[in-house]
Amino acid sequence: MLVIALCKGRFLDPSLDLLKRAGIRFSDDLASSRKLIFESADKRFRAVLVKPADVPTYVEYGAADIGIAGRDVVLESGADVLQPLDLNFGYCKIAVAGPVEPRTDEGSSPRSYSPTLRVATKYPRITLEYFNSRGIPVEIIPLSGSIELAPLIGLADRIVDLVETGRTLKENGLAVLEIIAESSAKLLINRAGYQTKRAEVLTLIQFLEKART
Amino acid sequence: MKAYTQIPPGTQILIGRAARRRRVLERAICSVFEGWSYEEIIPPIFDYYDVFAKGMGAGQEEHIYRFIDREGNILALRPEFTSLVAKTVATRLASSPKPIRLFYQGEVLRFEKPKGGRQREFAQIGIEHYGGTRKTADVEVLLIAVETFQQLGIQGFQINLGSVDFFGGIVDRMELPQDDIAALKDVLNMKNQSGLEDLLQRLPLEDRRKNILRAVPHLTGGKSVIAEARHLVKNARSVEALDHLEEIYSIFEKLDLAHHLTIDLGEIRGFDYYTGILFRAYVRDLGFEVASGGRYDGLPAAFGEDVPAVGFTFILDRLEQIATPSLAMADVEGTTIDVEQGFAKALELRQAGKAVKLCL
Repeated sequence: MLVIALCKGRFLDPSLDLLKRAGIRFSDDLASSRKLIFESADKRFRAVLVKPADVPTYVEYGAADIGIAGRDVVLESGADVLQPLDLNFGYCKIAVAGPVEPRTDEGSSPRSYSPTLRVATKYPRITLEYFNSRGIPVEIIPLSGSIELAPLIGLADRIVDLVETGRTLKENGLAVLEIIAESSAKLLINRAGYQTKRAEVLTLIQFLEKART
Repeated sequence: MKAYTQIPPGTQILIGRAARRRRVLERAICSVFEGWSYEEIIPPIFDYYDVFAKGMGAGQEEHIYRFIDREGNILALRPEFTSLVAKTVATRLASSPKPIRLFYQGEVLRFEKPKGGRQREFAQIGIEHYGGTRKTADVEVLLIAVETFQQLGIQGFQINLGSVDFFGGIVDRMELPQDDIAALKDVLNMKNQSGLEDLLQRLPLEDRRKNILRAVPHLTGGKSVIAEARHLVKNARSVEALDHLEEIYSIFEKLDLAHHLTIDLGEIRGFDYYTGILFRAYVRDLGFEVASGGRYDGLPAAFGEDVPAVGFTFILDRLEQIATPSLAMADVEGTTIDVEQGFAKALELRQAGKAVKLCL
């Protein structure tokens, strides 16, 4: 039996749809239930529901053979896993954003003379790598939500966040300044499972490749 | 300053049963190695940093614990054994008759995130074969790996064979900058199709060559993979690598052991010193590899003696998670002696070879 780690939240429905199209069905109350482990109708698969950022970890350790997660969390985790397939949903961008209009006092604000950019983000690893590779000194401010707030009240100069439509940014007077990477849903596979459960894993990859839209 | 009662991250302490388990496993594995006429080498725990930097390659230096001695030399705590052994073979043992068969066991240190039971200090145990014929030496070390798993009672292990030369032969002709080759290796090692596509879009390669690279991640499975790969490549280096893998696979078929082998030509991970075949062993239901190795013909030459070399190493900390060695020891139950009866009684029993436990 293969174990599949799925993200709770916005990825769950498209993940379940994709699996359904590949012939793998889980009970309909999966999304609403409080249970964390589910077996597929044909008993060949077990789904575990975890926080999106944790999916790469489950797969890297082999607690799950397979996972579905956004490229953003895979990059951030640095997990050593196979990533054979793009699943063609969950498109968005990891972007640097900042205020549209620089604050009027920016010229005279002591902050504006700081040689180090302050960046608030849920993605400290991606952010540090990006700015380091460009030779820009940054101070990372790790936040776990409402990132857009940080530049508005002077906690940070910039943010690095996922941007889907850009609406949240716009409503908060922020705009995308640079795109760091494109992100979408990825199929993740544990390296050992790929070798020791090869037949099952390869069949699943084939089905998913056909089923993705 | 941290309290001196804390332990630094990445270290561990084995006590009692856990320590005994470790030693029993080591003993069992060493006796397999000795059974194939390998002799132990006990190298130093530190050496000059350059010894390791030379073999492990770029990007590894951040994982090495370095320090400076009073004369200003840069030294390193050993992050692996192979460089140390290769250096010894190329220097002290240069005039010894070949082949040279050596095994080692002990702790290595790497500054990296502890993962899968492997701490920053972890135990390795492995073999090295120098100066033999390539094919037979490769088969020999693979057979020893197989026997080790069998002796430890581990079922469902797979040894995955990859090749540096198959991929090397393909990219040799592309004349790409080193950075692009490294990027190619990265996406292939993750079997990342879309990442590969993005990369191919910007690389100035003919479509025919791009299609070869597109096929590489799928060259994984049984012997049929080799035939598939033959349709793709004509260059001598890749073809030779395929011939070599096919010969090894055929020998394993004759020995009825081929079900333990898989081939994955998209596997090109490992330290820079690897030059030919690559091994990685996996066990069902353990998420991380338990052993790895391969051929490193260039390494002894880097130390001045050009001999072919192949070897592999087991990660003991991971084997311990799946092996269940018998811990039964002869005469474990000792006689408990009340001190009232005097120490003389204890000495008497000890001289008779009995275990004692003083009741104080």
